[in-house]
Amino acid sequence: MSETEKKNQSSTHKIGIYLWIWGLLFVLSFFSYLVDWYQFQGLLRWSLILIFMFLKAGLIMAFFMHLFWERYALVNVLLWPMTAIACFIFLMVAEYKYTVFTRLFYFFVGG
Amino acid sequence: MSDPKIDGLELKPGFKGMAEDTGSDQTMFKGVHWGKAMMWIFLLSDTFIFSCFLISYMKGRGSTPVEWPNPSEVFALDAFGVPVPLLLIAIMTFVLITSSGTMALAVKYGYEKNRKMCGWLVLATAIGGLTFVGMQAFEWSKLIHEGVRPWENPFGAAQFGSFFFMITGFHGTHVSIGVIFLFIYAYKVFAGHYDDQKRGWFTSMKGDYVEIEILGLYWHFVDLVWVFIFAFFYLW
Amino acid sequence: MSEDFNNNKTIQAQSSETLTGGGGGGLTPDMDYVRPAEVTDQDLYHGHSFITKWVFCQDAKVIGVQYFLLATFTGVVGLILSWLMRLQLGFPGAAGFMTAEHYYQFVTMHGMIMVVYFLTALFLGGFGNYLIPLMVGARDMVFPYLNMVSFWSFFVAVAVLMASFFVPGGPTGAGWTLYPPQTILEGTPGSEYGILLMCLSLILFVAGFTMGGLNYLITVLQARTRGMTLMRMPLTVWGIFTATVLAMLAFPALLVGALMMSLDKVLGTSFFMPTILKAGEVLEYGGGSPILFQHLFWFFGHPEVYIVALPAFGIISDLISVHARKNIFGYRMMVWAIVGIGALSFFVWAHHMYVSGMNPWFGFFFATTTLIIAVPTAMKVYNWILTLWKGNIRMNTVMLWCLGFIVTFVNGGITGIFLGNVSVDVPLSDTYFVVAHFHMVMGIAPLMVIMGAIYHWFPLVAGRFLDEKLGKWHFWTTFLGAYSIYFPMHYLGFIGVPRRYFEMYDSPYMTSAVGMNEFISLAAFLVGAAQFILIYNIIKTLKTGKPAGKNPWKANSLEWLTPTVPPEHGNWGDRLPVVHRWPYDFSVPGAKEDYITQTTPPSEVVNTGVEKT
Repeated sequence: MSETEKKNQSSTHKIGIYLWIWGLLFVLSFFSYLVDWYQFQGLLRWSLILIFMFLKAGLIMAFFMHLFWERYALVNVLLWPMTAIACFIFLMVAEYKYTVFTRLFYFFVGG
Repeated sequence: MSDPKIDGLELKPGFKGMAEDTGSDQTMFKGVHWGKAMMWIFLLSDTFIFSCFLISYMKGRGSTPVEWPNPSEVFALDAFGVPVPLLLIAIMTFVLITSSGTMALAVKYGYEKNRKMCGWLVLATAIGGLTFVGMQAFEWSKLIHEGVRPWENPFGAAQFGSFFFMITGFHGTHVSIGVIFLFIYAYKVFAGHYDDQKRGWFTSMKGDYVEIEILGLYWHFVDLVWVFIFAFFYLW
Repeated sequence: MSEDFNNNKTIQAQSSETLTGGGGGGLTPDMDYVRPAEVTDQDLYHGHSFITKWVFCQDAKVIGVQYFLLATFTGVVGLILSWLMRLQLGFPGAAGFMTAEHYYQFVTMHGMIMVVYFLTALFLGGFGNYLIPLMVGARDMVFPYLNMVSFWSFFVAVAVLMASFFVPGGPTGAGWTLYPPQTILEGTPGSEYGILLMCLSLILFVAGFTMGGLNYLITVLQARTRGMTLMRMPLTVWGIFTATVLAMLAFPALLVGALMMSLDKVLGTSFFMPTILKAGEVLEYGGGSPILFQHLFWFFGHPEVYIVALPAFGIISDLISVHARKNIFGYRMMVWAIVGIGALSFFVWAHHMYVSGMNPWFGFFFATTTLIIAVPTAMKVYNWILTLWKGNIRMNTVMLWCLGFIVTFVNGGITGIFLGNVSVDVPLSDTYFVVAHFHMVMGIAPLMVIMGAIYHWFPLVAGRFLDEKLGKWHFWTTFLGAYSIYFPMHYLGFIGVPRRYFEMYDSPYMTSAVGMNEFISLAAFLVGAAQFILIYNIIKTLKTGKPAGKNPWKANSLEWLTPTVPPEHGNWGDRLPVVHRWPYDFSVPGAKEDYITQTTPPSEVVNTGVEKT
């Protein structure tokens, strides 16, 4: 490892990029805090929460965790398994709606 | 870090490069240290753990017929007599992102073999993490004082407390473990273990500044998880 | 027609890129060129004392053997439990001490031990540790210290699991699926301490396994030797690698489920506990979702099936190829089938839950994905058979186990297609048909592979052959006996005998099935006893067996090409091997011998019909 590692060590990134991302993260966190402050509701709230969340997550992963500069082989390996998570989320949304439906239907409406 | 140069192999960029890396011999992740690759795969596994927690939380919250407490009110904090929603959580987020930034810089200076800067920044990260854990302890004690328990709470569905303590507790455990390692690594940086390639206490492997990057990956991941917890637990 | 086959065209016909034009041309000075090493040689810790050499050892081979022995020990415990269950089912009341509670506890522990602590640990921990570094040409696992900790976590996990036999109330009796709410409610055996120890043990196992799994993955991805591309790896490594990926992504769900269950038990949270009325009183619990646990459990549980099956697929491919002296048919197809099965296994989990009361629309989704998985699986079976086709088959014990595997696996796979369809599954679920299905497909079939692998790699590990005669006795008793056990069980399922019942009392199930149950039990005693032939065989041949020497099976893959047999710590002596080809160049036309090892450079086999791989 050491040979290749030593060669790379000189090529680090400028400090400016980290400070930029750092600043952006603060701004985005502030925005997502404002979502609660102004008490947006419904679809607007959800979309804002998710947008800010994914932007923040993306910035952290891409720049702080250097994924932006990694080769695609690594990025690819890391991102594909997320489809399983996406499937799990999607199905559990369907499942909780069904569960709460049965509960309301049998316990409160009375079957 | 970026674009490693490897003797006898021209590394192509983009998806063509991906295909060639995958089809090549010896390593698939060209120029990636073993430990770093391990940390990435571990984080992938850990992502699944937190995803399962958050999915369970979604399922639990969605399927309870009892009203879910409004987090905006539950987590409000009185500032000068006025209840400010999510004040503590906002500060905690601020602290964690700050520590993530110092960690990113520590990794940068580590690669530049700037021992002093690297050490101080790792130490700053550790202190940031410690502050976060302290504030979380404060948050927990406040909620417990208000009668929130894992099995019940005065605001609504009992699962609120269960999921809150479990998920923030699991995240807090990650932060605490990170803080311990940050302090250890700060010591190791200052003591020059990475400059002299001193062997590790347990693994007896040679030290290298890449370990700071590996620790950095872990720490950024903890921050990353907090982004999701913040969105789903406090804002939903 | 037969003329065409006899000139071995079939063996060459895979790639148009052959190295030679047949006329001896193309011998260029750099045809043996392999890129220089990217990674400096691994720095190993060599133990000196007995403790660091054999107990807290950092050598993957020793760790593999440790895993193997401990997993075998738990497997024997599981076997004894199954004997006790069969005793009760075949001859009710014959075991005087056995109560219904005991029976449930034995069912639970048998299931959990066999699936997690025996098969998973044996395939990934045992074979994975021993074979991965050798087969990819590494000196050791990439993190030897972590590897050592991994084994000792497993050891503690097993100790905790076994401790649950001795706590008040005994081990949990909720079935290996541990479904809440009954798992932690009073009245279920082991609901006091057994379930807690089970959860703790599983958490320890997952933690330990994660450490091992990271090792296997990074060793395969980042520590291959020069010339070893992913598509030159033996299928054994592919199977174990993919299974490890599945384990790394599936065990988190089990960990989360076990943790939440422990909290429900200890703190009284209600993650999984709905409002429950018991003897007219409402319990403290309320509002939780039992079906959430089932989803979490099977999100782990279905990939777990493939965690057991994929290494078996990989190992069997290698064994068949070596002992039929033919290259594996459709190597790339085999690799992609393994990867495809692994990927699909994350999208099929709720086919275990058709009758659970989940969202009824899920049946469509999961039945579809489940049946899609049959496609890559069937491809693999065809490829095994086509590998055997016109091979130069050695009818030794290893090959017998391979053939036994193919038959059992096809049998179990076909009943799986029955159960994957919702409308067929509903009447069959919770009957002995299900028991027969999963024992065939993930009990007996992987076990056959393990046995075959033991007979195949024992000469590498111990330097001596196992006794063939005893081996054949072992095989035939196990194979015929296993069929005697599980074939009748399908019929029990069809007549509706429910599983997990302690006794059928005077029901029609009892009276009509009594003879069959007795027969199954007798066969089970016999098959269980036959496994001790292997243990006897190993003990006997360790001292007196025929010495194997180097590469006794004339195999191609790297594990047989170490400078010393059995390999020493560091595996390769001074120089790492350099790989020039895939491990399946058997019976190549024009070659001097019927095998060309992976390290043979192209210039040495220039006049043969070998392909570029």
